[in-house]
Amino acid sequence: MERDIEQLNSALNSVKVLRSNVRRIFDSVSNGLRADHGDDGKENKFITELQEILTTVNTNLRDVEGSVANLTTPGGPFSLGNTTYLSQETTLERQALYGQLVNSYKWTDKIREYSALAGNILAANSFNKSYKTFSTTKRRKTQTSNHNVSPEVIENIITNVDRLFPDITLTTSRPFVANPLIQASLGRVLRGHIAFKGLMIEWVVVKAHGESTDIWTESRYKVFRKVTENCHAAMCHFHSPMMPELAVRSFMHWFHSYQNLFSVPCKRCGNHLHNNLPPTWRDLRTLEPYHEECK
Amino acid sequence: MGVTILHQFPVENRTGPAVIELLTKRIAALGAVQHGQFLVDCETYSSVPQLGHQRTVHVLHNSEQPATVFSLLETGTKTIPLATDGLFDLLMMKMSSFYTSKKQTKAESKGPRFEIGDFCVKLGTVTVSSNFKGILVEVEYRPCIVPQMCWELMKEFLQGFLGSSVLSNPPVYFQNKMNDVYTPIDTIHQYLEHFTIFRKSPAGIRT
Ligand SMILES: [Zn+2]
Repeated sequence: MERDIEQLNSALNSVKVLRSNVRRIFDSVSNGLRADHGDDGKENKFITELQEILTTVNTNLRDVEGSVANLTTPGGPFSLGNTTYLSQETTLERQALYGQLVNSYKWTDKIREYSALAGNILAANSFNKSYKTFSTTKRRKTQTSNHNVSPEVIENIITNVDRLFPDITLTTSRPFVANPLIQASLGRVLRGHIAFKGLMIEWVVVKAHGESTDIWTESRYKVFRKVTENCHAAMCHFHSPMMPELAVRSFMHWFHSYQNLFSVPCKRCGNHLHNNLPPTWRDLRTLEPYHEECK
Repeated sequence: MGVTILHQFPVENRTGPAVIELLTKRIAALGAVQHGQFLVDCETYSSVPQLGHQRTVHVLHNSEQPATVFSLLETGTKTIPLATDGLFDLLMMKMSSFYTSKKQTKAESKGPRFEIGDFCVKLGTVTVSSNFKGILVEVEYRPCIVPQMCWELMKEFLQGFLGSSVLSNPPVYFQNKMNDVYTPIDTIHQYLEHFTIFRKSPAGIRT
């Protein structure tokens, strides 16, 4: 298929070249003798010029014949499937449908091609340094849309999370029906504001208990701004379109490890403070505390 | 409002300004930036004998909560804290015939205020009725509200610039409050405890 198209392209190209050179012959003949042929032996010069172009045209013609001979004839008529019936359409405004159909077909084709490429690239450079394995059967079972789910499903997940971590207090508000906003108070340490998009965690802001509950302003404390940053990293890390519920649970499990934010020293350097900050990073697997610079 | 620890820095045989200068250099070397000045003052009133059993009222102001007047009433058996607005000062003046201020007891701690990361550090020169008494260093770790959680972390910070004068155990004041939520009145309590000791210390300087 690829080769056929290439040959067709080169054949069309040689036809184009042939046509343009033939046009040059007619140009030259119609103009006849021109001033730039000079005075001496102008007829001879004209004839030489004409002969040169004719030779070129000959070569071009041979090219066309050659490339046409290379083409493979398609076997039988093209099957256009149901689209053939579109040609029988009589209403005027629907006659353009065929063109649109072809265009959308092309787009779908491109999307398939690009997504396959993107899929390959992403698989090779996984930002998901995780230890998760999916079995194909499981995957098929849970493969549902995860940003357009019924509020009850999300409600269930939130209730489960709430039950799982006794020292996280969850308060849910729903400014937009399907997308809840939860406030997760982790003991007396901090409060996380987590915005969901369906089953996906879309945004996290961590603040002190007394601070505003608005999710667009960051905390006035450096330590919570750092933790917010790390929550974003973890949110991407745990994100899993295939198993959204697991992603939420893993994230909450990791988030829960901040309960000792102020009280444990860094696993690497053994100190509490580095740059006047406590260990603000938690290892994604072991949940051990590290300073930003020590991880 | 975060957990605050008040630490008395030994003056030894230096002058007050010399110690403040030394500590300012140290904290600046760690990257602290000065943000203004601070002042905590304390006046103590006693009830007149006609009111029967004697009671003492300590009235304190803290520049960190400029619109609040803190008062601690000592009945002899217990201490009742009260946080009110500025009008309380006027009320005390009205009651001057019942509660009289002891002479020569106005205590205050004032000096530069620094911010470093989430810490707030205040280097206070303490005077009791204008006599220099010593140096009080106040360190607040603003994001944390429970002393138990951040004591070790604060100790590390304090030792980082005050050296070995920092004790390895939390101040006595915290003994039964390590798991309570810290509030501004706790800072006031700590100041009052230190001021009371400073007032009693003879010949001015407490070492
Ligand atoms: Zn470290």
